[in-house]
Amino acid sequence: MLQIANLHAKVAEDEREILKGLTLSVKPGEVHAIMGPNGSGKSTLANVIAGRETYEVTDGAVTLDGEDLLEMEPDERAHKGVFLAFQYPVEIPGVSNTYFLRAALNARRKANGEDEMDALAFMKHIREKVKTLGLTDDMLSRSVNEGFSGGEKKRNEIFQMAVLEPRLCVLDETDSGLDIDALQTVAHGVNALRSPDRAFIVVTHYQRLLNFIVPDFVHVLMDGRLVKSGGKELALELEAKGYGWLEAEVGATA
Amino acid sequence: MSTVLSPATGLSGIVDHGAASGSSGAPWVRSLRAAALDAHRELGVPTTRHEEWKYTPLRRLVERDWAAGEPGPAVFQRELPRYDEGSIRIVLVNGRFDRNLSETEARSPHWVARSLRDAVTEDDAVVREWLGQVGPKTTQAVGREITPDSHTFAELNTATFEDGLFLHITGDVAALIEIVHVATGDGQAFAPRVLVVAEEGARARIVETYVTDGEGATFTYPVTEVVVKEGANLEHVRVQDEGAEAFHIANWQTTQAAGSEYHSFNVCYGAGLARVDQGIWLDGQATVTRLDGVVCAGGDQHIDNHTRLDHAQPNSNSFEVYKQIVDDRATVVFNGKIFVHQDAQKTDAKQTNQALLLSPTATIDSKPQLEIFADDVKCTHGATVGQLEDLPLFYMRSRGVPKDQAEAVLVYAFAAEVLELITHVGLRQALERRLYEKLGVDLGA
Ligand SMILES: Nc1ncnc2c1ncn2[C@@H]1O[C@H](COP(=O)(O)OP(=O)(O)OP(=O)(O)O)[C@@H](O)[C@H]1O
Ligand SMILES: [Mg+2]
Repeated sequence: MLQIANLHAKVAEDEREILKGLTLSVKPGEVHAIMGPNGSGKSTLANVIAGRETYEVTDGAVTLDGEDLLEMEPDERAHKGVFLAFQYPVEIPGVSNTYFLRAALNARRKANGEDEMDALAFMKHIREKVKTLGLTDDMLSRSVNEGFSGGEKKRNEIFQMAVLEPRLCVLDETDSGLDIDALQTVAHGVNALRSPDRAFIVVTHYQRLLNFIVPDFVHVLMDGRLVKSGGKELALELEAKGYGWLEAEVGATA
Repeated sequence: MSTVLSPATGLSGIVDHGAASGSSGAPWVRSLRAAALDAHRELGVPTTRHEEWKYTPLRRLVERDWAAGEPGPAVFQRELPRYDEGSIRIVLVNGRFDRNLSETEARSPHWVARSLRDAVTEDDAVVREWLGQVGPKTTQAVGREITPDSHTFAELNTATFEDGLFLHITGDVAALIEIVHVATGDGQAFAPRVLVVAEEGARARIVETYVTDGEGATFTYPVTEVVVKEGANLEHVRVQDEGAEAFHIANWQTTQAAGSEYHSFNVCYGAGLARVDQGIWLDGQATVTRLDGVVCAGGDQHIDNHTRLDHAQPNSNSFEVYKQIVDDRATVVFNGKIFVHQDAQKTDAKQTNQALLLSPTATIDSKPQLEIFADDVKCTHGATVGQLEDLPLFYMRSRGVPKDQAEAVLVYAFAAEVLELITHVGLRQALERRLYEKLGVDLGA
């Protein structure tokens, strides 16, 4: 489904490369966890997949079902089924959560030749998901993320994901800042979406999340490259040993 | 160094017409008009060297020869605005009260709407008391005098208005009162005049909308005077949505008595060149005032708002929020004066003006001006100029909202803080729709 080949990226007005030849292949139904030290490029990768213009791709390719993703606008990518749950969800004062979400859903439906949903059908569509993710009516009618607590923002991200039903879900540290119950709620929301034709890339610092969302693959991103890949046991190893030993290993082969 | 455009400008046709026709009516009207004519002649048409007109050149206005406006047609090419089917609607065509289009039979004993010309002819006592009298008075302050501003176009209106509306509110009026001003006729100038008097404890919601009909340039120089007596409560929305060729130079004055509330909204969407001078004179204690504005200018529009708030008595609160959206090559000017007079202790005045620049060739000139002559007051002001932020835009787009729509939503959200304060839902929604239209976005349902 998603093919990333030799991806190089930097901040547009900057010289320094952040991603330095990253390669990754994701098939439908799979869950890939990406771990790695602060500043190694995890969020950059997530943002490049979603199409953030701050980053410039200098080399390599990213395709979704064979189509060149890098040629598409961020909204086009969303219409093709890409979703990024932000590490820092954005507050949008003056725009209500439900209005925003319905606009997003209808924009995608329109782009894919489906009928738009009216307010009533939309409320029906979201009712179940609201419950699953423990959102309050108040949170729905408030401005997008405005005044939400850190945990509420993260739950709102997963809620939006559940409503939009994307095909490729990229979760950037959705578990950071969540209490234990919220972590379970979020994991439950994600697991409910798992299906044979949907894939996940889960960026996290904590092995704990992966107890709830069990990955098929774990990758270590260091200094702009995937330096090691393995099964879910790699996460346990990282938890126990940190990243130092990998640095030595990578350094030795470089 | 002259601060006046001279010699005789493109306005001389209007002035001469005013001079010729100002000799009828009761003696007080005649002297009011004669004094105004003299004042206008003396003040002339300001150049940009005049402090109050620094950013708004009037050359394009006076280059044309304007004719005193004729009565308008009975039917229009456009649909006239209507925000509420159940509203009381008054229509003024080319500054003249239109009996056929207006509701004149009061449904309740709490209001009277009539032709200002008739009211003046019949020497109505309320009109005699207030016409041309609403606005700041001169007061003494530590070491200087605080004086009213001169308004050459308001003087011109007083000297030349043909007709207008006298709206007398004496009780609680539940229905929205819609005053529609239509201007039509290439090269013609119109002087709509509105006098609103809300008696003690009266309550009403008013919306005044200025539009043009058909092609051609019009010049409208309206004056609206509003008297809000003790304990009265008025919400007053002013919508200027004239055509792109129109010139619109308005004066809007309000006097508030003790315990009254006046919520005003200045919504500026239209005209090629528009200027509004709004003044509120707080002439009693414990008043509450809102003086809010939403400006959306694109193309080559030039929109200038000057507001002046005079806290003349103690214990009053005022809030002023201006939200200004500037696109393309448009220019927006904002000047917000607040005078806190020597007697006005315990004043709480808050002014904010924010501008959103949507294009590199858009211009904003804003100037808050606080002059405080009392010592125990709380006055704050803040001004910001910004652009659409990159991150919210990306956030919305990453969820599938197309760029144009995401931008419009963010721009709308910027203005919403003010529009949301308008309590009449139909009116608020119509203004929201119009804003989206101006931003070039069709939101569908
Ligand atoms: N917009 C930007 N401007 C400047 N530098 C940037 C920008 N975005 C990322 N960087 C730099 O690129 C590097 C990678 O950042 P990124 O946010 O991708 O790291 P991360 O792996 O997500 O880290 P963390 O675990 O702390 O979230 C960092 O050194 C960061 O400072
Ligand atoms: Mg990160």
